[in-house]
Amino acid sequence: MGASVPLARRNILADRRRLATSVLGVGAAVALILLLQGLWGGFRVQISAYEDNVGADLFVGEEGARNFFGVPSVLPLDAVSTIRTIPGVDGADPVAVRFAVLDLHGRKQSIFLVGSVPQRTGGPWDVVAGRAVGRDDEVVVDRSLADQHGIGLGNRIEVMGESFRVVGLSAGTRSWMAGFAFTSHAAIERLLSMPGTTSFVLVRTAKPAAVAEAIRDRTGLTVLTPGELGDNDRALLARIMNGPIYLMLLIAFVAGTLIVALTAYSAIVERIREYGIAKAMGARRGRLLRVVLGQTLIIAVLGTSAGYLIFRGAAWLVVSLRPQMWVRPSLVSVGGAIVAAALMAVLAAVVPTRRIARLDPASVYRG
Amino acid sequence: MAGVPIGRRNLFSERRRTFLGIAGVGVALLMVLALDGIFAGAMREVSRYIDASGADLFVSQRGVRTMHMSSSSIPFAAVERIRMLPGVRWADPILYDSGAVTASEERALTYLIGYAPGRRGGPAPLVAGEEPGPGEIVLDELAAGTLGVGVGGRVETLGRSWRVSGLTTGMTNIVNSVSYVPFDDFAAARGLDGVASYVLVGSDVSTGVMVRRIESATGLTAQTRAGFSAEEGRRVKDMSTELMQIMTFAAFVIGLAVIGLTLYAAILSRQREIGVMKALGARPGRLGRIVLSQAAWTVGAALAVAVLLALGLGWVLGRAAATLPLVVEASSVVRVAVAAAVLGALGALSPLIRVSRVDPATVFRR
Repeated sequence: MGASVPLARRNILADRRRLATSVLGVGAAVALILLLQGLWGGFRVQISAYEDNVGADLFVGEEGARNFFGVPSVLPLDAVSTIRTIPGVDGADPVAVRFAVLDLHGRKQSIFLVGSVPQRTGGPWDVVAGRAVGRDDEVVVDRSLADQHGIGLGNRIEVMGESFRVVGLSAGTRSWMAGFAFTSHAAIERLLSMPGTTSFVLVRTAKPAAVAEAIRDRTGLTVLTPGELGDNDRALLARIMNGPIYLMLLIAFVAGTLIVALTAYSAIVERIREYGIAKAMGARRGRLLRVVLGQTLIIAVLGTSAGYLIFRGAAWLVVSLRPQMWVRPSLVSVGGAIVAAALMAVLAAVVPTRRIARLDPASVYRG
Repeated sequence: MAGVPIGRRNLFSERRRTFLGIAGVGVALLMVLALDGIFAGAMREVSRYIDASGADLFVSQRGVRTMHMSSSSIPFAAVERIRMLPGVRWADPILYDSGAVTASEERALTYLIGYAPGRRGGPAPLVAGEEPGPGEIVLDELAAGTLGVGVGGRVETLGRSWRVSGLTTGMTNIVNSVSYVPFDDFAAARGLDGVASYVLVGSDVSTGVMVRRIESATGLTAQTRAGFSAEEGRRVKDMSTELMQIMTFAAFVIGLAVIGLTLYAAILSRQREIGVMKALGARPGRLGRIVLSQAAWTVGAALAVAVLLALGLGWVLGRAAATLPLVVEASSVVRVAVAAAVLGALGALSPLIRVSRVDPATVFRR
């Protein structure tokens, strides 16, 4: 009964096949936790792709505007010329944005329509095939969206009842929710029947803080940096998605805990006579509890390692098969998964511990 | 021998372990049921305005077949043309846009509906106050609660201030709610002139006939209320397909591991008895059936646990988070049951191999 006997390790390693199944199960739960957080992280990066990459230093929206997505901003188009006259403004261009739903191969595809003035700021930042939009009946669509629906350069797609010719494909312009489609500002004004209006004015300047103040004073409009706009969109998205995501994380955590508990419990039940003997020989309760916890920790550690590998493979598979889904796990989420696995081990030890605590040493001598 | 339910007795001989196994598989199945339920709830909520509108048909800009995440623009002249068509009982335009309503520091996302008070397209039912007059707005009671305002309070949206004239109910979902303002105020705030977003139509003739009649007369897109609602559901479904596939696969792997563990442990603990049965002449088919019956018991009990947990979760969410409804549909349960049966069969493979390899001489070892 000396402390040097690694009972926990020996017990749990006694049946390798069961251990492997258990590690796979815990690994799947940990991988799911990591994948959910990774997908969420990727989505949070994607949501501000436009603000982060379009090349504007400031976004000017209607009074009270806080978001680029979900909550439309409507401005008179002549705000652009007013802003251009403000000292420190190096450039100001309008961009009109709206969600739309396309019917492609009988499938609904949500897109985020972006209308900008050709050759000015506001269009796609990475055209990987073809060219940028030059005419009002042309469109640049996200490459992965085009691939998914078999859309090629020169093809025509129908947007809100009008036909557009695909002249370019862009990269980094897709999220799980919607893909970007870029066209001219005039086309969006026409599609929405909102002539003379725009959504945001994109401002380029070397002095963002001073210019933002000047624009607010002069126009009364809301001025946001790309970072502020991105953070607001992330917060908006979090309000919608946090509930389902936390629910799924909780279920994955419970499933993982039950797997660890099941494995440890089964291993203990099979060796219950040996535990009885150990008790009869004077093993203290604390020692036996450490053995149980040792077993659950071994499963949790192995399961977490396996989970990370499964996660890497699953992330590769998801991104290969569905390029619109980015997986970006953060250090915090990996740390969270490790903490979750440790918690699984502790919680999973409860049932086996109770079984050993109630074990009567005399039972060893019964048939 | 055939009358003794060995599989079940064996499985339930160690109740705690069996409980852990059933709970583990149940929680894995719950993952799929819960996700299914959340999307089912979202789909039901997302078309609530359409379903409750009382319109037989919805007319939209050509090529626009949905309302949410969509924009539609129809010239007023087309509304008049629709009203003149034979069989049209009534036709009322609405304006529609997404936005946010704010009060003090609080903010609630909303779909804004501009309608002519007294006509179709407005809030139904009102649980407090009255329809909006000029400069007034009707909010959903949950959104009003979030904003901390009641009838008579003031909120901001569309760049102006509005007095809350009434409250409606059942129009808040996981994403946002629905708010109603007078059509003319909406148009003025957005600088719109002579256009509507959608036209709601009441028809005296069959909806199929009326759809064709409106489309050929106006060149717009017309859909029955049920068809329009179904298009909304398809949009949510198509958006969520990939996510559902990933989650379902992960739940499947987790469930497979748990069921494999449960059956494997049950077989391992009764290895001697299996050896005795083999020594007494039990055929492999009989032993295989024992393992499969254990799998069936585990999966059946786990499915029951999963359905009960999902219903319980739906009940809890209905009270704690009314905007996140979880609806357990029969079709979802059937799908999960089929997946669970496959899980059970796959999970039984390893124990079946183990059983086939048990040496009858095991009986004589201690």
